[in-house]
Amino acid sequence: MSTDQKTFTLEQKVKGIFNKVLDITPDEIKPDAKLDESLGMDSTELVEISVAIKKELGVPLADNEIKKTQTFNEIIGILKAKGAN
Amino acid sequence: MQPIAITGIGIVSPSGIDKRQFWSNVVHGRSAIETITRFDAFKYQSHIAGHVHELDAYSNVSSRLLKKIDLFSHMALVASELALQDAQINLADENLNRAGIFMGNALGGWLYAETELRDLYLEGREGVSPFMASAWFPAAPQGQVSIHYGIKGYSKTIVADRASSLMAIAYAAKNLIREKNDFILAGGMEAPVTPYALLCCNTSGMLTKRNDIPDKAYRPFDKNRDGFAIAEGAGIVILEGYERVNKRKPYVYANIIGFGTTTDAVDRINPAADGVQLAKAIRMALDDAQLEPSQIDYICADGAATKLGDISETKAIKQIFNGYANKIPVSAPKSIFGNMLGACGALDVIIMVLAMEHHVVPPTINLTTPDPECDLDYCPNKAQEKTIKNALVINRGRGGINAVLVLQKS
Repeated sequence: MSTDQKTFTLEQKVKGIFNKVLDITPDEIKPDAKLDESLGMDSTELVEISVAIKKELGVPLADNEIKKTQTFNEIIGILKAKGAN
Repeated sequence: MQPIAITGIGIVSPSGIDKRQFWSNVVHGRSAIETITRFDAFKYQSHIAGHVHELDAYSNVSSRLLKKIDLFSHMALVASELALQDAQINLADENLNRAGIFMGNALGGWLYAETELRDLYLEGREGVSPFMASAWFPAAPQGQVSIHYGIKGYSKTIVADRASSLMAIAYAAKNLIREKNDFILAGGMEAPVTPYALLCCNTSGMLTKRNDIPDKAYRPFDKNRDGFAIAEGAGIVILEGYERVNKRKPYVYANIIGFGTTTDAVDRINPAADGVQLAKAIRMALDDAQLEPSQIDYICADGAATKLGDISETKAIKQIFNGYANKIPVSAPKSIFGNMLGACGALDVIIMVLAMEHHVVPPTINLTTPDPECDLDYCPNKAQEKTIKNALVINRGRGGINAVLVLQKS
């Protein structure tokens, strides 16, 4: 598959958003680790991520939805439940 | 006033960030004021400023944090680190519940704020960064420095226009005398080179319009002056009381020994023409320092370069110093790198400290045609060698604020 035709998985897209918004590299993200403990993320940064997800993936996440998530995989789970891919 | 020691300095300025480079540029009167190219400022009446260069080279602030803070907090963090290193303070050895932060600035974090306001109107509520609320407000640098170092003691932010950081340093010294802190990072920061902040400064009517000659535009006390040029930057000093100094034995640059402040109660922008209230602030500061006017060796002026401001400042100095006024050098080295608004006082204090170290009075530049109504020795264009034991720093702010600090070489 050429680079032009490469499709990114949802996980890769969201990691890309983490990198763009918070300068967190994909390697730093441990999918099942708590975001506050492993990455020092706070609730404001979670809101920033959810705004960027809505902008880039078109999937809205309410403040109370994103603030309930504790791990990267939980964010992916909510997005998949909303039909994101 | 009990003396309070200045044991460290950190500078982020258009004339340099390293203190040696800064002092070299200041003492040689090398103007750092340039045309603003960071955004399209051409239509502004005044579109020149002192810009900080190479901040990133001195910064260890993470790119992740930089997304959440305004430039003025970034500069405060860099200046604070330089000051702590200069004072040789290892925070790991300190009781951080007794360390304090006293900062001054006039405008807050406008670059961050303007960008988010623009996004609010273009994209709606969701376009605004959730970090806006913590990035913009004037006490944000105090907060960021506190978080970065874990400093938890009595701290404060002063907003008093161009007198903000001088007052912050003075109140920090008073706090140390009351033993509310063991040591304090005190100073100021300002990042006004942004579209809206520049507009606000322009509408005050106090900025020079000589955009065609940026390096010669800011000319305090000159007959052809028409206002000041703004600048961005930060200055932090480390202050300690003598019970601690006698144990720790740091190098002491100078002592703060007096402070006075009054208000003009005349106009929202211009100072009182008669200089009477500023004279009272000078008197108050000298009394606090238990000094006579004849014991002052140098005055670092407010030097706003407005018609009225410079005349009233000259009048105030003459009211207190009488015949001796013509024997003291009075200079405005901020003419070299620009007026940092709320951070002026911090830079003036640092310049004073360096002037005392090097036995040199830095110049007022661009003073080529003396104004007959401003007839003191403003150290025009060339530094003067002089041993400085006692000195005054004068800062004034809109709304009629007058603040005067007395320093003494240790």
